[in-house]
Amino acid sequence: MKQSKLMLDQVSKEFGDGDTSVKVLDRISLDIKSGEFVAVVGPSGSGKSTFLSIAGALLSPTQGRIWMGDHEVTKLSAKKMNQLRLSHIGFVFQSSNLIPYLTVRDQLLLIAKLAGQQGQEPKQRADHLLERLGLSHRKNHYPESLSGGERQRVAIARAWMNDPELILADEPTASLDSERGRTVVQMLADEVKLRQKAAVMVTHDKRMLDLCDRIVYIEDGKLSEQPQPILL
Amino acid sequence: MFLALRELQHAKLRYLLIGFIMVLISWLVLFVTGLAQGLSSDNASSIQNMKADYLILQEESDHRINRSILTDEIWREIQRHPAGDHASPLGVHMNTLTKESSTAKFDAAFFAIDMASMMAPKVVEGTMINNTDAEHVMADRSLKDDGYRLGDRIVDQATGAAFTIAAFTEGQSFSHAPVIHLNFEGWKALQPSGSQQGTIYNAVALNGSPEQMDALAQDIYGIEIITKSKALQGIPGFQEEQGSLVMMIVFLFVIAAFVLAVFFYVITIQKMNQFGVLKAIGAGTGYLVRNLIFQVLTLTVVSLAISIGLTYGVSLLIAGVVPFSLTPSVVLLCSLLFLAVSLMGSLLSLYRVIKIDAIEAIGRAA
Repeated sequence: MKQSKLMLDQVSKEFGDGDTSVKVLDRISLDIKSGEFVAVVGPSGSGKSTFLSIAGALLSPTQGRIWMGDHEVTKLSAKKMNQLRLSHIGFVFQSSNLIPYLTVRDQLLLIAKLAGQQGQEPKQRADHLLERLGLSHRKNHYPESLSGGERQRVAIARAWMNDPELILADEPTASLDSERGRTVVQMLADEVKLRQKAAVMVTHDKRMLDLCDRIVYIEDGKLSEQPQPILL
Repeated sequence: MFLALRELQHAKLRYLLIGFIMVLISWLVLFVTGLAQGLSSDNASSIQNMKADYLILQEESDHRINRSILTDEIWREIQRHPAGDHASPLGVHMNTLTKESSTAKFDAAFFAIDMASMMAPKVVEGTMINNTDAEHVMADRSLKDDGYRLGDRIVDQATGAAFTIAAFTEGQSFSHAPVIHLNFEGWKALQPSGSQQGTIYNAVALNGSPEQMDALAQDIYGIEIITKSKALQGIPGFQEEQGSLVMMIVFLFVIAAFVLAVFFYVITIQKMNQFGVLKAIGAGTGYLVRNLIFQVLTLTVVSLAISIGLTYGVSLLIAGVVPFSLTPSVVLLCSLLFLAVSLMGSLLSLYRVIKIDAIEAIGRAA
């Protein structure tokens, strides 16, 4: 029996109030198990970003419940949600969003620092991660001197740094050409399989979908799942 | 402070520039403070260094020592009063003097005191004079810098009375003129000729509790009792001099607060997206706030250290030319104020950092 990493149960999100309220997500249910790499696709304005924000404990749903492992996210305080993000979730943002004044290695060490980890162990972990993602030679460079693909790989390394249960990627290939984009997504998929974790990737790059195990489709706030990845 | 230090290191030019402005402002603050202190001691160090808390003046004398006249009779009354135990009379007279066998003139303030009392100044060279020798006086060290030596004779222009300098004292000036201390025997020679009133004093210095002072003021007719700081304000020009300098210092502090506030606010606005990402990946608001405060404090402390060094360096260059005095306690006070002001300047940025939502990081291609 595979462990559930993220479970959404009848989750709705409304913005605004009263007459002007807009329902962005409408009773979404989704269960993601360990080892699964899930793609979320849909047209712009369909609620993909809101879905990711709620899954990432950045936004509270109007209705419904969310579990992450054994924790029920919807019951946590803002501070607890912060800690949950730090220990359970790794984010990969659009255009990487690295901190410009930290070297590649420091980007990773910052995550360990935030979690209060000291000593040599985080450094070894960071070096190991960078080596696996082929970034060892870039260890002491600043983001400004990296290529787009390298930046996105650093962002992936940063997301794995605290060994999270779940990776959330927000259009990680948006700023990359398709070849480099594919390499980056492949890396993400391999890591998920290797560590038996889970990942959710919001994308509208259809060429990446064959790398994913499941594809869910969001339109007008409603979620539907296509049974098999479509091979292009 | 992992983030703060790395950012300071990476954006060197940016922080160097603001540090430079901070150095200039705090340097100016310290320098003007030193100048204000220097002028105030040049003006009134005799009163400031006096080991008394209160001065008794004639009533209606506007807190001005040189306007007040106390007769021998009143002095005896004060002495008889239980609160007047530790009182000591003081005569003050601004005169123009010449050096004997020379025509060069200079202004000085004669202070007639009881040499055996708490009023006696500290002698740095020569021997202390006694209460009976009318011939000898003690002069402030600044006269020595003007070429006077022990044993030189000085002549009072108005009365023709001549005195020999027996000792030099330190930190004794009144109304920007050096103070010459003499005893009451010598004081008699300076009284207007034909005066029938006996010895006349200008003030009586004393220590005691506020209650004792109230009792004294009630029991003796025709006097008022003021604190030493009131007496300082009464020295001609003192208040105006200090007032304008203090105003400059206050403005500098306000300017420093705003320069810092604007600078850090702009930097914070620039980094809004970054802060969103940091919050999304799990950095707490407290952590970000501590980093910002740490940056502000580091910048301020380093700037202050440099400007303190510059201030003392320049004060060595101008020593003796410009009245300048900056004690470590004043430097400390100014530095603490500066730190407080810089923290106040960062409040606006702190507010923005607290308000940033982690959600800013999602769906943005910045």
